[in-house]
Amino acid sequence: MTVLQLTDVTGGYTRKPVIKELSFTIGEGELVGLIGLNGAGKSTTIKHIIGTLMPQKGEIRLNGVTLNEDLDKYRSSFSYIPETPVLYDELTLKEHLELTAMAYGIDEHTLASRSQSLLKEFRMEKRLNWFPSHFSKGMRQKVMIMCAFLVNPQLYIIDEPFVGLDPLGIQSLLDQMDEKKRDGASILMSTHILSTAEKHCDRIILLHEGQVRAQGTMNDLRRAFQMPNATLDDLYIAMTKEQDNE
Amino acid sequence: MNSLQEVWSKRFNHYMLEVQKYMRFVFTGHIALVLVFVIGAVGYQYSEWLKVVANTFPAEWLVAIIVGFLLALSRPVTLLRDPDQVYLLPLESKMPAYFRSALRWTFWSQIGLVAIIYIVGIPLLKAVTELTPQQIWLSLAIIIILKYLNVHIEFNYRYANRGASLIIDRITRGLLSILTVQSALTEGYSYVVIFIILLFVYNRTLAKRVKVQPIPYEHFVKVEQNRMMAFYRFANYFTDVPHLHGSIRRRGWLNFIYSIVPYSQKSAQSYLVYRTFIRTDDHFYLWVRLTVISGLIALFVNMPVVTWVVAAALAFATTIQLKYALLSSGDFRMDRLYPVEPAQRKNAVRKVLRLFVVIQAIIVMLCDIGQPMFFVTGIIIIVIGEFTFQMTKDPSIEY
Repeated sequence: MTVLQLTDVTGGYTRKPVIKELSFTIGEGELVGLIGLNGAGKSTTIKHIIGTLMPQKGEIRLNGVTLNEDLDKYRSSFSYIPETPVLYDELTLKEHLELTAMAYGIDEHTLASRSQSLLKEFRMEKRLNWFPSHFSKGMRQKVMIMCAFLVNPQLYIIDEPFVGLDPLGIQSLLDQMDEKKRDGASILMSTHILSTAEKHCDRIILLHEGQVRAQGTMNDLRRAFQMPNATLDDLYIAMTKEQDNE
Repeated sequence: MNSLQEVWSKRFNHYMLEVQKYMRFVFTGHIALVLVFVIGAVGYQYSEWLKVVANTFPAEWLVAIIVGFLLALSRPVTLLRDPDQVYLLPLESKMPAYFRSALRWTFWSQIGLVAIIYIVGIPLLKAVTELTPQQIWLSLAIIIILKYLNVHIEFNYRYANRGASLIIDRITRGLLSILTVQSALTEGYSYVVIFIILLFVYNRTLAKRVKVQPIPYEHFVKVEQNRMMAFYRFANYFTDVPHLHGSIRRRGWLNFIYSIVPYSQKSAQSYLVYRTFIRTDDHFYLWVRLTVISGLIALFVNMPVVTWVVAAALAFATTIQLKYALLSSGDFRMDRLYPVEPAQRKNAVRKVLRLFVVIQAIIVMLCDIGQPMFFVTGIIIIVIGEFTFQMTKDPSIEY
């Protein structure tokens, strides 16, 4: 079943589009990596999917609806972990979890049980009443991750998740992602850590200058670049060289 | 850049533009209106008091202490910036020209306040002392000379000691300035000359130490940053200064208020807005400040019309400023993505403001309780608050 479907999406911040006629889908239980150079349009694509930017052309369907057709259904269907943690300076860790649970209509009992296991997994139980100003970058990232997994939505959108996390944090995040995938959730993840992407992603979308340069499994990509046995790093560098030659 | 003089003028122009940009908001703001009322009321009380003031009142000492205290506060305005410690380093020997311009501006920008305070004191001096007009104006001239010396000494002291133990210098200068002004107002002109010579010698001694020291960039940059920060915080009461994030305090003693928000999807924004309002210093203290001013006016001004006008103006200022602060959409926040009604935020802000305007009304009414029509003040505050929220535009951008 298709969870997320982008059809010919063109858009950007101004009239001049950053992403051009972007089309791809994400199915149930799929982990898809969004890979591209700086400025390729990864973050812009994500902003269109979460609905802070509206497409100039084309359509984005999540669980069968567009944002305009059913705002509540669209927004309840995903959670988002931004590249830079966005926290409320005036809320404690506990209150971040509580607010998120309230906003997504999660009852108190579920909140208690889910947050307990997340806090344990990310080793943040002792910081429940802390304000974010006392958190390191990695801890801030963990708060975002916990809030996202607390919601338990159909789709997770994760932007550069590994930057700033310690190795244990990265492992916890990967474990959580695997677990959610087994339960049928889908994940769209943009990253520069290619070895991790290659190891964990079911499919890769290579973005280049706002367009999909290639997409598919690792084998599909190797065929597209005519580089059998290549790693994702090799393919990425090949794409960079392609850009230099233009 | 050709010369450091030019560096100074460029910076100065940029600085003036920045100050003007924000001062516009300050003088067109609601506080300006309140200030006019307050100054009017205080001026009226002052003139009434002058009619009955006793001849034995120590006017000379009072004026000398206030003016001397202000003279001691002569923080230099250098407009130095962080990168200067690197880029201006090769120009160290040419920097005195830059500092001369800086001190000239420091003097002119700060002399006004001292002069005004002294001039406000003149009617008191005339009422209590037997000074001739010439003597009164001579004292003003002496105060101007004192200001010039204070500005130079504070700069040299900060320079020579790299900002350390400034308090010793300030106390010394403060005492000397107070004694000089007091002597001038009691016709002890020989003492005036001695004190001024002392200050002059003090300045020369420091200036000699300055000559053999490298410029303490770190200290001066810090002084500048604190000064600009204070200005931006002040301007932030009147308008939204970008990139100025207020500090956060838990204020645990107000935690009980949060319990009025039930746990439900419909209350998500209320959950957030109550905490944002109570814990953000900028928002919370704005409310406290305006409530206190309104209360003090109600307590001390025995003219119901003035109390009502001030209470109305402050209820308006409270509501509109907090509405903008809590509703305007600056940076991305996670609640933009919540699957809740877009109007929920506005309704939550309305509820919080309604509660705190009612509390303001109760406090001001209690201060006004001696007046027969004290309940009118409360009604005015609540009606103006509600009306302001309804009639002003919504600063949030719809997504």
